[in-house]
Amino acid sequence: MSFYISTLLVYFFVDALLAWALNMQFGWGGIPNFALIMFQAAGAYAAAVVSLGPDTGAGAFQRYVFGSSLPFPLPLVVATLAGGLLALIVGSFSLRRIRRDYQAAILLIVSLIVTGLVTNVVGLVNGSNGLTGVPRPLSGVLSRLTYDGYQWAYAAWTAVIAAAVYLLVARLGSSPWGRALRAVRDNEDAAATIGLNPVSLRLQAFVIGGMICGLSGGLLAEFLASWSPAAWGYAETFAVFTAIILGGVGNTWGVVLGTLLVQVIFLQVPTFLPQVGYTGLIDALQWVLIGSLWLVCLAIRPRGLIPARRPVVSREARR
Amino acid sequence: MTVGGPAVTAGGPAVTAGPVLAVSEVTVRFGGVVAVRDASLELREKEVVGLIGPNGAGKSSLIGALGGQIPVTRGRVLLGGADITAAPPHRRARLGLCRTFQLTSTFDDLTVFENLLVAALGADGSRLRSSLAGGRARQARVAAAMDSVWDRLTEFDMAEVANLYGSELSGGQRRLVEIMRCLMRSPRVLLLDEPMVGVAPHLVERIQGECQRIRDSGVSIIIVEHALEVVQAICDRVVVMASGSVVAQATYAEAMSSGAVREAYFA
Repeated sequence: MSFYISTLLVYFFVDALLAWALNMQFGWGGIPNFALIMFQAAGAYAAAVVSLGPDTGAGAFQRYVFGSSLPFPLPLVVATLAGGLLALIVGSFSLRRIRRDYQAAILLIVSLIVTGLVTNVVGLVNGSNGLTGVPRPLSGVLSRLTYDGYQWAYAAWTAVIAAAVYLLVARLGSSPWGRALRAVRDNEDAAATIGLNPVSLRLQAFVIGGMICGLSGGLLAEFLASWSPAAWGYAETFAVFTAIILGGVGNTWGVVLGTLLVQVIFLQVPTFLPQVGYTGLIDALQWVLIGSLWLVCLAIRPRGLIPARRPVVSREARR
Repeated sequence: MTVGGPAVTAGGPAVTAGPVLAVSEVTVRFGGVVAVRDASLELREKEVVGLIGPNGAGKSSLIGALGGQIPVTRGRVLLGGADITAAPPHRRARLGLCRTFQLTSTFDDLTVFENLLVAALGADGSRLRSSLAGGRARQARVAAAMDSVWDRLTEFDMAEVANLYGSELSGGQRRLVEIMRCLMRSPRVLLLDEPMVGVAPHLVERIQGECQRIRDSGVSIIIVEHALEVVQAICDRVVVMASGSVVAQATYAEAMSSGAVREAYFA
């Protein structure tokens, strides 16, 4: 039970990072990032290869690039940078002044192409088998801890990171930068006519979001000690969309509630339950439920459970 | 950054002798269609120019070319002497040229207050670095911008709706927000694309009055308008377009008695 709860906590914090990243990109910036999970994967693979040690070449049981053994916490830094770099590259051609539905299509297609590439170019990150044996950070220093104790220590570590990222996104959301980003979302032409550069603001949000996704991937790969294409199917992106839409797009706490409901209760809890029906039934039902939840939410509560707050100002409060 | 005082003020560099906006032989082509052909006009300091003509005359294309939304195929556009022919819209805005749109362009999920505040802070006040790190300097700048927004709202008698979302406003209120938002940038040139469309009659008069007040404060205005009584009331001069070309530039009365203009309208 203790193992179960600590694992769920790690998932929750990691998924909260994804939700904040998507909330910044989609909720504030209006970017339909249907490739979200790709940026998490970039971070996960990056953290894995720089902590697995060198690939020993022919005869090694897994093949990958950039193998090295960076000490904690450098793999997470690399993961963050990898997510940001990939976002910079993808954003530079997908976020131009084109219609938003085309942006969505481009991002989804890029995500699918990259999945195909990573799966089939085996020398890159070991293809469809993925990478295993990723060393768990500080396991030497923390060797006095029991397996269970280590799990809890890791959950606490992800909580610290989540708190730091929360402070960052909360600050950005209420800042002039966040307001300018929301203006671009609402009307790009009007935003430009007051001097804001829509393409540059969107790209900034995309890269910051990509870095947060990369960080979340690094945390997850080090926790799971492995990472493979099965971990980042495009459906995962839609689970994050469902989470933020259910919780309340634009609201930093709302999307955390959505993450708790969708990513933890709907998607993770059933995997710890005893098997019901034939194999795979629960998995299939989950995705049916996620899809239905999204539709129901858009129909009856489009602004989510905790909608974005109206920022009320009063003249009396003036200095 | 310039933050307006209690009254409408024109910012930017000191008045130069030449026209604020000079358009010379501008052509706008969409594929094989020529929407604007060799159009030339000048806008002087503190002047309201009406851009009129029948549907399809090229008025909105010309406004788009001036605002930077539509690329200029040939010709030059100078703003206060600076060549802005190829500049993107946000750069033109930073040089003092703001516009409104035929379809009202309020930021619908921002409150009226935020609509104005985001403009008052502008690109300089919205930088990522200062938003992350800025301490007291940023707070002071935001506070000053907020004060200027309250002043503007009071001046336009719109303080009551400060906390309404853009989507909650009437057509006329949305127009006023668009105009106020431009004014937060202290522009030198204001382009108004059919500002009276979808506006209740009593607000038409109000917007008309505001235009005159804005002009008197030193801003030059080009207004595309179908309601000729509005044009007659507020424009110092009219530029008449037909089939993509400028056919007349004169006072309203002169233009209306010109044969070419009548032909353009009633042909």
